[in-house]
Amino acid sequence: MKKSLSRIVIRLPLILWAIAVIYPILWMFIGAFKSNAEIYANPWGLPHVFNFQNFSQAWNEYNIDTSVFNSLIVTVVGALLTLIMAIPTAYALERIVFKGNRFLFTLYISAMMIPTVLGWIPLFFLLMQLNLLDNIFGLSIVYAVSQLPFSIFVLTSFMGTIPKALEESAAMDGLSPYGVLWKIITPLSMTGIITVTIMNAIQFWNEYFMALIFLQSEENYTLALAIDYISNEAEYTNAWGTLFASLAIAIIPVIVLYAIFQRRISKGMTEGAIKG
Amino acid sequence: MVQSKKQKYLFLAFCLVPTMIMFSIFTLYPLFNGLYYSLFSWSGSSSAAEFTGLSNYVKLFNDSIIPRTIFHDYFLVVTKVFGIMILATFFAVALTQLRIKEAPFYRIVFFFPNIMSVVVIGILWSFIYNPSLGLINSGLELVGLDSWTRPWLGSEDWALPSLVLPSVWAGIGLFMLMLMGGISNVSKSYYEAAEIDGATEWQQFWKVTLPLIWPQIKISILYIVITTLNGSFIIVQVMTGGGPNNSTHVMGSYLYQQAFQQYNFGYGATIGVMILILSLITVLIMQFFMRREKVEY
Repeated sequence: MKKSLSRIVIRLPLILWAIAVIYPILWMFIGAFKSNAEIYANPWGLPHVFNFQNFSQAWNEYNIDTSVFNSLIVTVVGALLTLIMAIPTAYALERIVFKGNRFLFTLYISAMMIPTVLGWIPLFFLLMQLNLLDNIFGLSIVYAVSQLPFSIFVLTSFMGTIPKALEESAAMDGLSPYGVLWKIITPLSMTGIITVTIMNAIQFWNEYFMALIFLQSEENYTLALAIDYISNEAEYTNAWGTLFASLAIAIIPVIVLYAIFQRRISKGMTEGAIKG
Repeated sequence: MVQSKKQKYLFLAFCLVPTMIMFSIFTLYPLFNGLYYSLFSWSGSSSAAEFTGLSNYVKLFNDSIIPRTIFHDYFLVVTKVFGIMILATFFAVALTQLRIKEAPFYRIVFFFPNIMSVVVIGILWSFIYNPSLGLINSGLELVGLDSWTRPWLGSEDWALPSLVLPSVWAGIGLFMLMLMGGISNVSKSYYEAAEIDGATEWQQFWKVTLPLIWPQIKISILYIVITTLNGSFIIVQVMTGGGPNNSTHVMGSYLYQQAFQQYNFGYGATIGVMILILSLITVLIMQFFMRREKVEY
């Protein structure tokens, strides 16, 4: 009797917190299907009829289609660039003995802890000189480099679990070190590569502040910027329904990825944090 | 591996050099250049940069907004550390020790806000705090506490505390998982031994669980402190933009305002140097105080 009572007492906070997490997100989706009049009349309830007008309005009138496209490019290009840069370095740092190995590893890892805000001012002018300011490819490069330390860290720990004998026998068979890297190591660390890529992709899809600084014209806005813009406008236009619809558009890909890769994502983030 | 020294170094260079060049250009160079910029008075156009030595630093020490931004940052650090750690520890213990059937459900739900965009979180919570439509004020009215309703984000006294809840909401899942990882590594035999000695569940928590997951707790706290000092300005920017009347400006949002809205790039860099120094000092001090011998039974 006493045991079951304490169980209920302990369960109550769990249930309350679960509601606190789910309800606002659910409510955002519901709001996306409501007319403005309904949002004002009954902000937290269900709509009478579900209509998709908010979505089409966001998509057509607020240029969400362009920003979805921009966000996709930044995400894909950024994630690929990160891999191209991180895989060879992670392999060298994990497997090749050379002077300065430890130092280089520490340098990359410590960059995870250093506040990057300071660097954003010079970076702004650097991008301007390189003609990469207000350019989604410039932003992709900045994103890719910003996720290098995390990616290198996770990849080295994955590569560390691959038995050395495999590389040695491949080298005996006459495979060059380049061949070992691309044909043996890369396929064998695919689990790590996928984990890193999902984490980076979510990061790039969500990122807001660097985009705010390094992008300026509306046609280059990523989704986060476009939503921020609509949100600031909504204070005057009261286009709350449109705002919710665009929030929903931003969050659906993340939910889908999370539904598929839930274990990998939570594991990858926990491990990244433990070292960081 | 059979290969000549030259080949080895060539391969090493292939692996390391291109990445290092990119990292140097887009991370290291800007950081060091930021230190350099802080010695200039500069409004952005290339000709107008004027070397002013330490005058930006003098300005920094005389700027009455700076102490407030520092206080706001550390206010967020302290409230987030306590809010997140207490809740995350409670949830982690509850989900691992009590063998609740639906534990995976809670784990999945609690973690999700960690991968939401700060923009989405910020806008969502701005609406929750909305004075007329928001959930909090309507909830208070519903239970008859009309006098407690206020324009949360629009009030100078309440805007900053109001930012804590979204941050805790968004952060808890990650730290809960980190602590759960620690708890699941604690051998069951300690609890059995404690039970035989007659320790209550409460005592078991304080004497067994907590000391043994101290490494995870320490890392979690450090991580919260670092990410808050280096990134609290993002949620501030989305939810209040530093207002009302500077009452929520943190160091990073003030830097953004100075550099990118008022074009005082030199002064912005000086604020950046201050952020760098303060966060390094904070981490060093914390590591010193949290050094505690690893417990082994």
